[in-house]
Amino acid sequence: MSLIDEDAALIASALNGSAFAWEKLVKRHESKVYNLGMRLTGNSSDAMDLMQEVFLGVYRNLHRFRGDAKFSSWIFRIAHNKAVDMNRRKRLMTTQSSGNDQDDKDIFESIANDSKDEPDRKLGEQQQNNQICKMLAILPLEQRLIVELKVFQSQTFDEIADMQEISVNTAKTRFYTALKKLKVVSEENHVLP
Amino acid sequence: MSCPKTQHLLQEYFSDDLAPFAREEIELHLNSCEICGSELEALLLAQSNLQNWQDQRVPHWDRGVDLFKREHRVSGSTTGFWRWWQWVPTAASFAMLSILFLNVSVVSGEQGFSITFGDNSSSQQQFQSQLTEFQELQRDEIQALITRVEDRLDSNSVQLLQAVMDQTQQITADNLDRIYAFFEQNRIRDLEDMRVGYQALVDSDYETIRTLQQLAQFVSYQEPVR
Repeated sequence: MSLIDEDAALIASALNGSAFAWEKLVKRHESKVYNLGMRLTGNSSDAMDLMQEVFLGVYRNLHRFRGDAKFSSWIFRIAHNKAVDMNRRKRLMTTQSSGNDQDDKDIFESIANDSKDEPDRKLGEQQQNNQICKMLAILPLEQRLIVELKVFQSQTFDEIADMQEISVNTAKTRFYTALKKLKVVSEENHVLP
Repeated sequence: MSCPKTQHLLQEYFSDDLAPFAREEIELHLNSCEICGSELEALLLAQSNLQNWQDQRVPHWDRGVDLFKREHRVSGSTTGFWRWWQWVPTAASFAMLSILFLNVSVVSGEQGFSITFGDNSSSQQQFQSQLTEFQELQRDEIQALITRVEDRLDSNSVQLLQAVMDQTQQITADNLDRIYAFFEQNRIRDLEDMRVGYQALVDSDYETIRTLQQLAQFVSYQEPVR
């Protein structure tokens, strides 16, 4: 059974009332949504909030999923909308908040929670992720979302334009603009490590 | 220093559906234009920096399973069958409330059941009319029963009278026979008495005659003697 077929089977079972199928369906996609949340919000707490809102939205609208698109794409569309909503309520990952003590606390909490892994390697990964979050934090949400969808979710500009209800050229321009900003930050990081 | 083509070319460079000839044209320019080439290299480096992201483990959470179970009211292995049955008590309660509030009445008559809603004045009239019909029906049935009982009683009386008469006739005939026998017996006895009496009378007459004869003889005898 392919991954898409497995998703379809789990969705059918969940719609039929199987809590086991629902849990399995969430497990299959939670990591991508959580890490998307981490990149968009910059901290674990907001990422968890976003992930829970996304899966609540998935749960409420599961009966509307027609299967004409990939389930993961459908989830990212919901995640995109939830992130925009959340950004309206509170500014997500502003540049002022990046690099503060909260980020460092998240990193160490995460390491402490995962004592089985090698601490040095985990610390290195966390620092790298933290650096990426800092880079992304300079972008406004609409550009951050385009970078997320293009770089991390490998979506096409057509799909991004459709999701953000903008033209394809606008999507390309926003992506290019975002990359230019990221390039500046990346160069600064290399000059001032 | 800057190149006027940089933005347009690099923007198109990241397109998904770039035609092969357009890509060749861009590659040609990038190889010849140091500004655009270095700009692309910096952009790709920034992009690759992003791609160094290491997925983080998701903290523990209930995955919405509690909400799912609460809203579906099922266990993990419960099938859709019970999902529908869980609504039965609610539906029954709703039906009871509907019956209570809508003042539903169910009437059973000769033409089957009838259900009425709301004010029951019309149903009372209908009930009264049905009660009247029922009383008339009951009266007719009782009358028919009385008639049948009377007929049966009459029939029994006739049979009893017939039996009594038959018995009476029999008794009368027996009595007549007995009277006849009695009279016949008396007649025979009377005849016998008459015969005996007559015989006695005859005997008496004969004795008298003999006496007379003797007397005559005596007289006759006496006369010569004188």
